[in-house]
Amino acid sequence: MSDQSKQNISQLMDGELSRDCSRFLLKRMHHDGDFRQSWNHYHLLRSAVQQDGQAPLMHNLGCRVTQRLQSDSESVRQPAKPGRGWVKAITGSAIAASVALLAVISFNQNNLSSGDADFMVPEYAKTAKQLINPPNAVTARVEQTPRYTRFPDLTPQVQHYIMDKNTQTMVPIYYRVQSIQQSPVQQSIQYQSRRYTDE
Amino acid sequence: MKQDNNTKMSEKTLDAELVEQAKKGHMPAFEMLVNRYQQRVANVIAKLVKDRSEIEDVAQEVFIKVFRALPRFRGDSSFYTWVYRIAINTAKNHLVAKSRRIQNTQVEYEEAESFSTNEAHRNLDTPDAVYARGELEQVMSKAISQLPEDLKTAIILREVDGLSYEEIAEEMACPIGTVRSRIFRARDAIDQALRPLLDKEHNNQEHVRSI
Repeated sequence: MSDQSKQNISQLMDGELSRDCSRFLLKRMHHDGDFRQSWNHYHLLRSAVQQDGQAPLMHNLGCRVTQRLQSDSESVRQPAKPGRGWVKAITGSAIAASVALLAVISFNQNNLSSGDADFMVPEYAKTAKQLINPPNAVTARVEQTPRYTRFPDLTPQVQHYIMDKNTQTMVPIYYRVQSIQQSPVQQSIQYQSRRYTDE
Repeated sequence: MKQDNNTKMSEKTLDAELVEQAKKGHMPAFEMLVNRYQQRVANVIAKLVKDRSEIEDVAQEVFIKVFRALPRFRGDSSFYTWVYRIAINTAKNHLVAKSRRIQNTQVEYEEAESFSTNEAHRNLDTPDAVYARGELEQVMSKAISQLPEDLKTAIILREVDGLSYEEIAEEMACPIGTVRSRIFRARDAIDQALRPLLDKEHNNQEHVRSI
């Protein structure tokens, strides 16, 4: 280490070094043991000069304190017990599989027929334009009351539409004819919409 | 390098920088902070704790508490003022705990049982370490007394009286550059005198830890 570097350390500890040099030197000292050793020795001289008669001379207390902090933190961190990892992995997989199964079952309950898959999936109105001009597929217009927002078949866009237009008693939703005929949820919707229309 | 009074990093700012680094978990920064205030804290503890052999242990406890309380330090007071309060409280708590220990000898058996797990602290009290600390004080004292008068005056004015470089320059009737140089040469002379002893003590401690 050069004399200039050591002099910079001396000035740094007295608050007499420029900010730029100080920041650079501090960064250097974090990684360079020789620089820190000079810092420690200069502070030892400070300790010796400042020491009063009753206190012992303190030398490099920082090293002992940091070692003790590190050993305390290592003892707090308890290592995972061997052989438990596989139990956790299997438990997690079982939970994930059961959740997936539940999702599949609840989805299939909305589609009773074992026929064509197309019949099981209702065509949702995804945009406002579709509400007005339905796609070329055979669709049916169903009037729904706002409380049908509880049905999970409705897309979020539709639910928002219903919320925004809550002054309207009925909202037009388009479904494929086949899915309306075969799904109990849509049958219920159609029934209720007919009931309101009749009223 | 050109020095401008307006852009110097003051000691308070230096402490603040080291505290910020320590808060982020940079242990070298905290180590530097501890070494910076180790003696002043020991002097404070010595006013309450009369047993010299316990002062270093209490000082260690103080800085352990300081580290754990660092997230709560906001810089409203100076770092040393904050550490001073912790040191006083820790020293008082130590005295209270010590008086309880004297009354209850059962605690001494528990301390003995925990000795086998107390690896980190075992090496501090070997005969070599105790002797080395005594020798260190003697070497320091001798090295300071052998400094040239102008270097000794400059370092005493700085470390004991806490004068700035400008004030020392005024006191000693010399340029600031001369003050800067004298203080550095005084420190470097002590550093050169101590290196053989400190390297030997460091090697001994490493040897004891490895046992």
